[in-house]
Amino acid sequence: MEPLHGHVRPRGARSVTPAIRTDGLTKRYGQRRGLAGLDLEVHPGEVFGFLGPNGAGKTTTIRLLLDIIRPTSGTVEVLGMQPRVAGPDLRRRIGYLPGDFVVEGGQSSRELLTFLGGLLGGVPKHRLVTLADRLDLDLDARIRSLSKGNRQKVGLIQAFMHEPELLILDEPSSGLDPIVQETFLGLVREASEAGRTVFMSSHVLSEVQRSAHRVGIVRDGRMVAVEGVDTVRARAIRRFEIRFEVEVPADVVAGVPGLDRVVVDGSVVRGILEGRADPLLKAIARYPVASILSEEPTLDEVFLAFYRRPEGDDGAA
Amino acid sequence: MTVRHSVLGKTLREQRRALLAWMIGLSAVAVLYASFYPAMSSPDLTEAMDSFAPEFMEALGFTALGTPAGYLGSTTFGIPGPVLTILLAAWLGIRAIAGEEEGGRLDLLLAQPVSRWRVALERFGALVVVMAVLAVVLFVALLSISGPADLGAIGPGNLAAGTIHLAVLGVWFGGLALGVGAATGSRAITTGVVAIVGVGGYFANTLAAPIDAIGWMRDISPFHYYSGGRPLVHGLQVADVAVLLLSASLIVVLGTVRLDRRDVGT
Ligand SMILES: Nc1ncnc2c1ncn2[C@@H]1O[C@H](COP(=O)(O)OP(=O)(O)OP(=O)(O)O)[C@@H](O)[C@H]1O
Ligand SMILES: [Mg+2]
Repeated sequence: MEPLHGHVRPRGARSVTPAIRTDGLTKRYGQRRGLAGLDLEVHPGEVFGFLGPNGAGKTTTIRLLLDIIRPTSGTVEVLGMQPRVAGPDLRRRIGYLPGDFVVEGGQSSRELLTFLGGLLGGVPKHRLVTLADRLDLDLDARIRSLSKGNRQKVGLIQAFMHEPELLILDEPSSGLDPIVQETFLGLVREASEAGRTVFMSSHVLSEVQRSAHRVGIVRDGRMVAVEGVDTVRARAIRRFEIRFEVEVPADVVAGVPGLDRVVVDGSVVRGILEGRADPLLKAIARYPVASILSEEPTLDEVFLAFYRRPEGDDGAA
Repeated sequence: MTVRHSVLGKTLREQRRALLAWMIGLSAVAVLYASFYPAMSSPDLTEAMDSFAPEFMEALGFTALGTPAGYLGSTTFGIPGPVLTILLAAWLGIRAIAGEEEGGRLDLLLAQPVSRWRVALERFGALVVVMAVLAVVLFVALLSISGPADLGAIGPGNLAAGTIHLAVLGVWFGGLALGVGAATGSRAITTGVVAIVGVGGYFANTLAAPIDAIGWMRDISPFHYYSGGRPLVHGLQVADVAVLLLSASLIVVLGTVRLDRRDVGT
């Protein structure tokens, strides 16, 4: 599957009403921090990946957008309107998947979706059936009897079924198997191609980078970075672990461009590599290599790599 | 918007099993008590009851056991009927907002194009419908047993009045539960408030009434407006019913005002 390239952000974005805009958005739960001044702007028609570790404030942000909770300070605008003021008229234009999709278990998915469709002003039956078929969900099973992933499918259907202008999805792929994840990404891509905006949260970059145009990282209630996915991908940041058959000197990879946070520990070298792997491979080839492990870095590693050094500076740490 | 697609209709569908169970239970209780009346109304037993201190009997909800209206008012409509009705109403009222919220189910509903007012008021509407259905079923059950059980002297009009008062008492407690639940979002607090008001209100009505100094306590007890006017004897007490319905509505409105302003699910 190809990632979504060629998305052109509207020029002069100021003149276009952002799909979502927050300014210094702050939420306190008593003494606890929910959000600490979040600035966010999502352009109409884009797929925005909202990333952050546990407790960063993703769900808090999303529930503020839906007017389920109210800000302590700062402003929120969704489709150009204030959620608190616009009320039901605004929510009609939004498809929402809660992070924790819980509904009355005694009903069937069909009953629930028909009811929600009614609140939304009517959703054609065939669209329900088509979505259920694509996601391979039995609409007539009681929701209580569904597995976690199948329950999540019900949540996805209710978010997508009225073809809303804006989709706000809190960890949409949690619980989905890889095949259903593909189907979900297909739904996101189609929504995006139809000009709809998708705002979705996740813990991991890999989950959103194939469908998102931009990703934003929230940490400790603040937006710490917003980047185009292509830019992030181009930086190709990987975490690696190389095991040698012998002990290697501490300066074994010294001078290799694109390295960060290198730890040399006897016969093991760990670190983060950004960009081409060739110089690293050439450098380690002097010693017998037992194994090379390369994996996706954590969000923090990606964005530390991003914001530690200015663009274009490849100097190793 | 059809009923099928309304919050009210959906709420009723989700509650149909509980409603059915209560309809059967309450009718069974009513029929059981009624069928004992012929035995209870024998002069011997009446005399035996009269030998107890009247205040004691009244505290237990027993008055004029020898008459059909007195008997039914002391038995079915005395404690078991109100207890069963209030339990169902309070359960529905707590569930309506606080229960849904603590269960994490309210988010999805409030994210739909419905206002919080609509959710709260339609759920209150569903509660009123449930209580009305319960009253009709109870009325039919009592009416059909009243002939065989020698309770016919009460008459269908007063019997209807009694069941309406019972349903309205249910609406009052259900409204209290819904309103407090909407304001606080806490099942525990709501359950506590309903229990305190229920037990306190009952004793304020029965025990405080004879004592002049605290006689006013009776006037703020919902039970006073439920049975004080003796609807089984004197028919529907419009003013009493109005007091209960208006105060219940007020509680629901105040609770919803708070609900509309507060965070949900925190
Ligand atoms: N109802 C609440 N009461 C008190 N604190 C809360 C409440 N909800 C969230 N918080 C706090 O606010 C912060 C942000 O929580 P939030 O749920 O938004 O995180 P998140 O980014 O969605 O995390 P996760 O990835 O685990 O879902 C956390 O520190 C959390 O403890
Ligand atoms: Mg979350």
